[in-house]
Amino acid sequence: MIFDPILDFFRGKAVTIPPMDGALKPNTLLEDAKILANVARPDCLAYDGASVIYASGNALHRLGVEEPVNTYGSVITALAISPRGQLAVGLNSGAVMLGGETLTGFTCPTALCFAGDDLLVCNGSENVAAENWVTDLMGHKASGSIWRVDATAGSRVCLARGLAYPNGVVAEAQSKRIVFSESWRHRLAVIPANGGAVTSVLPRLPAYPCRITPTPSGYLLALFAPLNRLVEFVLQEDDYRADMLREIESRYWIAPTLTAAHSFLEPLQNGGVKSMGVHKPWSPTRSYGLLVTLDADFRPVSSFHSRANGRYHGVTSAIEVAGNYIVASKGGNAILSIDARVGES
Amino acid sequence: MSTREQFQRWRYNFIPDHLIGEILSKRWADNAIPFLAMVVTVIGFGTAIPGFFKPNSLVESTRQLGEFSIVVTGLTVVMLAGGIDLSVSSIFALAAFAAVSGLFILDLPVWACLLAAVGVGAICGAINGYLIGYMRLRAFLTTLVTLVIGRAIYDILIVNFAAQVQQSDITSEVWDFIGDGKILGFSVSIITAVVIAIVAHIALTRSRPGWHILAVGGSRRSAHNSGIKVRQTVFMSYVISGMCAGLAGFLIACRLSGAGPGTGLNLEILAITAAVVGGNSLGGGRGSVAKAIMGAIIVLVMNNGLIRLGYGTGTNQMVLGLMLAVAVTIDIRWLKNRHKVLNEVYVTPIYHKMGETLSALPGDASPYALNNRISKTEYIGLGELEGPEDVILDRDDHLYCGTRHGEIVRFFAPDYKRSEIFAHIGGFPLGLAFDRQGNLLTCVGAMGLYGVSPKGEVTQLSAETDRTYTSIVDDARLRDPNDLDVGPDGKIYFTDSTTRYDAHDWAIDSIEGRPTGRLLVYDPATGKTRTLLDKYRYANGVCMAHDGKSLFFAESWACRVHRYWIEGPKAGTAECVIKDMPGYPDNINRASDGNYWMAWLGMRTPSFDLALRHPGFRKRMSRRLPQDEWLFPNINTGGVVKFSGDGTIVETLGDMTGQSHPMVTSMREHKGYLYVGGILNNRIGRLKLDGADTAWTGPTSYWGKRS
Repeated sequence: MIFDPILDFFRGKAVTIPPMDGALKPNTLLEDAKILANVARPDCLAYDGASVIYASGNALHRLGVEEPVNTYGSVITALAISPRGQLAVGLNSGAVMLGGETLTGFTCPTALCFAGDDLLVCNGSENVAAENWVTDLMGHKASGSIWRVDATAGSRVCLARGLAYPNGVVAEAQSKRIVFSESWRHRLAVIPANGGAVTSVLPRLPAYPCRITPTPSGYLLALFAPLNRLVEFVLQEDDYRADMLREIESRYWIAPTLTAAHSFLEPLQNGGVKSMGVHKPWSPTRSYGLLVTLDADFRPVSSFHSRANGRYHGVTSAIEVAGNYIVASKGGNAILSIDARVGES
Repeated sequence: MSTREQFQRWRYNFIPDHLIGEILSKRWADNAIPFLAMVVTVIGFGTAIPGFFKPNSLVESTRQLGEFSIVVTGLTVVMLAGGIDLSVSSIFALAAFAAVSGLFILDLPVWACLLAAVGVGAICGAINGYLIGYMRLRAFLTTLVTLVIGRAIYDILIVNFAAQVQQSDITSEVWDFIGDGKILGFSVSIITAVVIAIVAHIALTRSRPGWHILAVGGSRRSAHNSGIKVRQTVFMSYVISGMCAGLAGFLIACRLSGAGPGTGLNLEILAITAAVVGGNSLGGGRGSVAKAIMGAIIVLVMNNGLIRLGYGTGTNQMVLGLMLAVAVTIDIRWLKNRHKVLNEVYVTPIYHKMGETLSALPGDASPYALNNRISKTEYIGLGELEGPEDVILDRDDHLYCGTRHGEIVRFFAPDYKRSEIFAHIGGFPLGLAFDRQGNLLTCVGAMGLYGVSPKGEVTQLSAETDRTYTSIVDDARLRDPNDLDVGPDGKIYFTDSTTRYDAHDWAIDSIEGRPTGRLLVYDPATGKTRTLLDKYRYANGVCMAHDGKSLFFAESWACRVHRYWIEGPKAGTAECVIKDMPGYPDNINRASDGNYWMAWLGMRTPSFDLALRHPGFRKRMSRRLPQDEWLFPNINTGGVVKFSGDGTIVETLGDMTGQSHPMVTSMREHKGYLYVGGILNNRIGRLKLDGADTAWTGPTSYWGKRS
């Protein structure tokens, strides 16, 4: 209607987000998944050919083994294992440990990926450490970058800058492209292997994308929090947001979170009010559990959900091992397993 | 407070934007735009044209207005029935010719001429009505055809008989009186128009055929399904329109004593413009005679005014066309979207800074620190109950509560497994109290104050209080009566939480934060209700102090508890006894140890407290997000607080799991147990209180031992 742009001036444009539909139609497959382990804030899953490796706080564990493989001086925020078994670990302090060496100069390593002899590093932001991502989002920052580090020589080149929190990266096996998730722009984007222009491959996601890992038939994409219309609205409200960032503890912000609500000091939206003992699964929420399988062209094929009333929120990492999806629910403190065939049906 | 906050406070607390929503929600708001347009037109042209308001000029103008508004009234009837009548101008002209030729050629008496004119109108209307109503032809095309044919017949007649009429020497005093005379200073035509308008108004609003016309216009299919004779109703509407046009034709014939080629030319455009400009919907079913008259005045004053100001026909037609365009646009866009606009503008938040509060986090060194004591209660009515806002027990230990289905449910002692519907009231029964005679009194959301006798007979006690004459919403009506208690003298003290929102939208009132809550008193001796205190942010729970000399009441969105003095030196005044709590207080009730229980319906959150200092943020939120997405106070966690008469917090009970009692709106102590209710819960919880007096009951505390 031609009047709408004029009326919008007075009434303000409605804040909208992409719907969860098609391949992203909600289910409870993630909520009902088999629990492999209950561990504190699991993250950064990887497979070394023998067992699943995961990070929990400062420690690196082998799934099912109590004793940690290794511990570091800071929270582990990124992990990659090369085909030859070389280990790369990113820390909340900004350091990236490659073999015995420490690479400095990064502030926020969010994801690592080996591409041949090189290591791809997602530096989420120049402003904050990886554990403090919410400040970067609510501060409207876009200072992330992607680097290619020569693992033998130690030299590095910047492939792209000015990214809104790159949070997962994968090098395509055949072609010469690098695909990464750009969390604050809710999309998967692609750059040529040697750097260059950034283009979208999967835009308008209804959640913030995170780690992306290859599978035999395509990719697994973890999305750690849902888009929320109130949060999108707050992102447009500069005065309120500035006061919120200044005066309120970050865990009580109107912002996405990894964990399902557990404190009465957290914000509540009308739809999230419990009625007659029921918390509606479709109610607006700041946390959600979502894992999406993509085909080789990065088109969504199927999805696994833990909805607003669920427990396994904040999925930050997932890998496929022997026909099972191994999923780390960082907000739900659990490592889950889903039969990969479930998604095909 | 920063400059920005000062400005916000000034902007949102002193500019009354809430009035826009209140006016829009009035039924008369639809008439406001045409009425304003009418006033502006009359004043505008009245001052621009010298002598416009002189009596002579006015009488002449109103003569013309009389004829015109009769035509518009008739056309409005057709439009209300969902049709359109373009042929009014040719019916008008033919009727005028019938009257003129009747008198001047056939020398008939004036009454016969009147009959002839109205008869011609009725016949033409019947042709239209038959074709459209019974043959189901399109109204627009059919009346266009009758317009053209009627005009053609008129032109043929006037060419052949005009000379005969002019040369006739017949005169009639009655005829001339109708054309030129006055009764009490009013012309005959304006009196006729007023009579027709009143009759039409009464017929449309208060008679069966009138309702049928509106029903058919509103929804033809539904009207048919509910047994209305749709075809006959449509037929009759055209006959009425034709007769009105005929009558108007007779009047103009009397005034001009003749008929010329210009009679009634373009009248259909003027009439349709008038009907639509007045606010009658082209789609049918919505409109009124008053609107038609206002439209007639606007169009006629504008039309004649432009002529008298010296503008040519072209300008005149252009202005008419533009008016019609604007009116049609408003009709389609405004009337259709009015409720959406109302939704967008109704919520008008104000600035409010909440005081610093003590922590309620479990384990903190604070009297408010919540725990898990009500997370494991014995459930009563789980799965059967929906929305027990308040709970109460009688002398025989039976348990009563309201439900959102408008019922009062009684659970039987001693195990509370069996229940019955004690009374059905409707609305949403909220607060409960027993009076001295054992009647159960209740505040029913959206209805008023009700009493239920021990046998279950329901009587309405009060549904209104004093009207504030400066408020636009009717604040005499009890919109959200919430909790009550009974004084030793039998007077019932109760709260009406807000005048802005209906009972089921109670939580939205927190977004707005306007202080409109009231404390009221109902006197059973006189049957009258008075307002004691006004301007509280959601006045909620009420509890008579143990000595009966004062009462406590909760101000939910301000997180305060006040004490109102009934007797003593401070009688008639209120003082704040607890302020800046971390939770939102709801019902208050007596405890066995001389203290008071208070329910917390929800908890303050830093983000919502901050939002209260950003009224613009909340306003934009209410317009740009659907209601489900709005930021609310955290009403998923509540609690129970015990406080003493001087406002000291004694203890706090909570349910951090949110499994049993996420929101608590009431609690009642009875024989050593605490019964917990919640307006959004599906159960009542029963908790054993350690060390409480196992003989203490509410009825005994209020009214003594059973007599």
